Amino acid sequence: MKTSMKDVDSTKYMEQELVSIPFGKSKIDGLYYNSTMRDEDDKANDTVIIHVHGFLGNFLDGSQRFLPPILAEGGYSSLAINTRMANFGLFFGYGILNDTIPQIDRVVEYLEELGYKNIILSGYSLGTSIVLRYAALRKDAKNFPNLKGVITLAAPYSMPDSIRRRWNKLGSEPSYDEVLEEAKEIIKPGREGTGHDRTILIYKARGDSYRPEHTEIYTYRTWWYLAGPEAHTAMGYKQIAEIKVPILLIQGWYDQIVKPEETHDLAQAALDAGNKDVSAFYVNAGHKFEDKEEELGDIIVRWLDRRFKL
Amino acid sequence: MVSRQRRLLSFPAEDGFLINALLVSGEFNREEDLYNTPIILLVHGVLGHFLARGTPRLLPNALEENGISSFLINSRMAFTGQMFGGAIFDESIMDVEAAVDVLVKEGFRKIIILGWSLGANISVYYAVNNPHPNVKGLVLEGCSSSLPRSNKRRLEKWNSVPSYDHIYDIAKKVLRPDPVTTQNDRVFIIYRAMGPTFDPGDVELYTYRTWWFMRGPEAYNAKTNEIISGVKLPVLFIHGDEDYIVGHEEPESLVEILNKAGNQNVQLSFIPKARHDCMENPEFTIDVLVEWLSNFKD
Repeated sequence: MKTSMKDVDSTKYMEQELVSIPFGKSKIDGLYYNSTMRDEDDKANDTVIIHVHGFLGNFLDGSQRFLPPILAEGGYSSLAINTRMANFGLFFGYGILNDTIPQIDRVVEYLEELGYKNIILSGYSLGTSIVLRYAALRKDAKNFPNLKGVITLAAPYSMPDSIRRRWNKLGSEPSYDEVLEEAKEIIKPGREGTGHDRTILIYKARGDSYRPEHTEIYTYRTWWYLAGPEAHTAMGYKQIAEIKVPILLIQGWYDQIVKPEETHDLAQAALDAGNKDVSAFYVNAGHKFEDKEEELGDIIVRWLDRRFKL
Repeated sequence: MVSRQRRLLSFPAEDGFLINALLVSGEFNREEDLYNTPIILLVHGVLGHFLARGTPRLLPNALEENGISSFLINSRMAFTGQMFGGAIFDESIMDVEAAVDVLVKEGFRKIIILGWSLGANISVYYAVNNPHPNVKGLVLEGCSSSLPRSNKRRLEKWNSVPSYDHIYDIAKKVLRPDPVTTQNDRVFIIYRAMGPTFDPGDVELYTYRTWWFMRGPEAYNAKTNEIISGVKLPVLFIHGDEDYIVGHEEPESLVEILNKAGNQNVQLSFIPKARHDCMENPEFTIDVLVEWLSNFKD
C-alpha cells in the first residue's frame, strides 16, 4: 500500500487493532495498541493500561487517543474502551456508573487472557469516577492480583459536589436543586423501568451562555447516579480511600471544569487512608491537556517505569 | 501480495473537521487488483458511527468475504454532532469529499458510496455536486425521500412536544439574523418524537441550527426528492421490506424521479425479513449487493 492512507496514530512502536470484546449479549468496543518495543532480551512488557473516556467521550478522542501511542513508544501497550457511559449513554438512560463495573471486569479478563500481568486503569474526567470506583470495589489483591495501579487525569474530588458547585456558580437553568427535586420523584423505589425517566437539558452548566457547548444533557436517572447528592459511587474521595495500589493523579493547572485543588485533596484522602504510593503532578494546561500531550505522556511513562519496567 | 487490513485512519475535511475512518479489506494478489475492485465508502445514519450496530458493523466483513473492500467514515453527523451544533447537513459533504480524495490518492478507481438512512441523503447531496470521476455509483439503503418531510410526518404522528411547526417558529427566532451566519444556537429536546411516550428512548435531540439544515422546512439539500434528479450515476436502492421508519413509497418515488430525469441505471430491491437495517437479512442483502457490484468489474 502507498503511504497516503497512513494512520496518524501508526508508529513504528506499535500495532493497532480494533477489538470487540464479547460481553453478554453485547460487545465492548475498544482500540488496542500493542507496543512492539522490546527490552535487551527481546521481551515485551507485561504491563497494559486501560483508558476510560470522559463525559460524552469515546476511544477516538482526547487522551484516550493521544496517550496510547506515546505510552507504546515507552514500551507500554494500551486498550482504550467505550463503556456504557460513552457517547450518548447519559442522554438515553443507560449510562449508570455502577453498570460499567462488569464491563471493566470483562476487559480485565480479556487482557489477562492476552498474558498481561500488570493492569493499570487510567480515566479521564468522568472516566476517573469509573476507574476509582472500580479499583475501590476490586481492592482485594487475592481475587484481583493483576490490578496494579490507577491513573487519573482531571479527577473531580467528588463528581456531585463538582457539578453542583459549577452549576450554582454559573446560574444553571434549571438549578441543581430544581433538578434534584424532580429526580427524587423519578427515582423512587419501584419506578425503575416504568417509563418515568425523562431526558433533561441543563443550560449554562459549563459556561456562561445558552450555547450548545455550555449545555449538559442527562436523564434524571443518569443524573441521580452521577451527580445527585447520594451518588456515593461518583464521590472520588470516598473511593480513593479504599484503593491500596499505586495511584498517579495528573491535573491541569488552568482547568476550568475541575479545580486544581481537587487533585491535592484526593491525594491527601488516599494518603490519609494509608496508601504509601500516591503521586500528584500538575501540568500547565486546561481540562483537555491541549498542547501538553507529550508532557503528560512522559509523566506517565516515568511513573510506570519506576514500578513496572522489566 | 496485499495483506488483509483493518486500519483506523484520520484525515481532515476541507474546513479542518477531523474525520475518523476504518478501512476493511481482504487479501489481494496484487495492488492492482485491490485498486481495480470496487470499494464501498460507507456513510452512517443518525447518531451513527462506523461501529454502530447494523449495516456499519456487519456489512464490511460480509463484503470482504466476497472480495470487496470498505471504507467507513465518521462524518461530522456522527455521535453527538447533531446535539452540540457541529452536524450541519450541508457541510457534511465535505467529509465525503475528503474520504473520496483519500481513496483516489491511494489509487482506488471504482468508489461506490453506500449511505445508510441519513447517510443515504448525504450521499445523494454529494452525488449531485460534481462527484469525483472515480465515484462510479451509489447504494442508498433505507433512503427517505425528504428528511424534513419525514421528520414532520413522524412528529405529527406521535403528537410530539414541541410540535414541528412550533420548533420552526422558535428556530427562526433563535437563529437570527439568519441561520447561516448566526452565532446563536441552543440544544433542544423533542419529546414523543420516536414513539408515544416521554421516555428517553422516544426523544430526539438537536440544536436549532442542526435541525434547521437537516429537518427544517428550509433544509433544501436534505429534500432528496427535490435534488436527486441531478444524480447521473448508477443507483441501487436497498430497502427493508418491513421498514416502518421509511415507507416503500419513498424509494419508489425516488426511482421514478431518477427515471424521469433520464437515469435508467437504477435498481430498487426490497430486502425480505428486514426492517430499516437491511443487514437483518444479511444473505439476501449481500447477494443483491454483490450482483449489482459485478457490473463494475472490468
